[in-house]
Amino acid sequence: MAELEHKVRGVDHAAFPTFDPAGTVRFYRDVLGFPVVHSICAAGWGPEDHPDFIHFFFDIGNDDRIAFFYYFGLEPQHSHGRGDVYAGFGPEVPEFFVRSRHLAIHVDDQDDLLEYRRRLDDSQWPVEMQIQHETIESIYTHDPNGYMVEFTRAMRPVTPQEDLDANLTIDALLDVVGAPEPTFGKLLARKAELIVERAAAWDEAQV
Amino acid sequence: MTALYVLDVPENTSVAKVAGEDETVTVNKIGPYFEITADGPIVVDRRATGCRHAVWYSCVAGVAGGHITQHDKNALRVEPA
Repeated sequence: MAELEHKVRGVDHAAFPTFDPAGTVRFYRDVLGFPVVHSICAAGWGPEDHPDFIHFFFDIGNDDRIAFFYYFGLEPQHSHGRGDVYAGFGPEVPEFFVRSRHLAIHVDDQDDLLEYRRRLDDSQWPVEMQIQHETIESIYTHDPNGYMVEFTRAMRPVTPQEDLDANLTIDALLDVVGAPEPTFGKLLARKAELIVERAAAWDEAQV
Repeated sequence: MTALYVLDVPENTSVAKVAGEDETVTVNKIGPYFEITADGPIVVDRRATGCRHAVWYSCVAGVAGGHITQHDKNALRVEPA
């Protein structure tokens, strides 16, 4: 496969609906200090049944943005108690799945992570968890819309061998999910084969 | 022969070190991975490694010639197939 030039430049914006614009502005602008950087006041949008709406944006650093849609007159679209205003889940859905979709915002170091922890803990949306993962440390809360928001900092720079390992994982994963009944054990067995095939040569190419 | 592969990054070095303290276990390198081999089981005591939760449960890169029979808060155990 020919190498595809990597030309993209990060997140322009990630957009979410809100039924609580006041809470959303308090959370992102007033508690976190994210500047409002853009908004659109739109009278409908094409189809007759499209409500009037406000589309508003907050800077999340690096000129990337999180954006919200507030639709005048629109009622909540589901009545589940779990999840967020976009997607609700019944009691049969496991918690790990509900929490799997989230937005993680990067900070430079632990001082900055703890600064956002202080801002959240002084608000009505305090930090729910602070966790050291494999190589990153994160804090988590839910915004007024139920969206899970993470702040994270790297505990050390990513090493080149982690990129190799990630690519071996993905190649092993594609092999395993392309065959019947994929399991974690099958992935580790396939990845061991790929390590034996490629790891020594990769090492030599690093010099 | 069972082989356990662990990526050589700072968080994982204690896993290879603790595994190698068993005289039936050999630790070599293949590229940037530790290759931990034994004719019998490979057992790593989690507390001896000092690994925190997330590191411990993601430290295995590959397993050849055997399978994991235990990977919990106490130990990682790989046994021959």
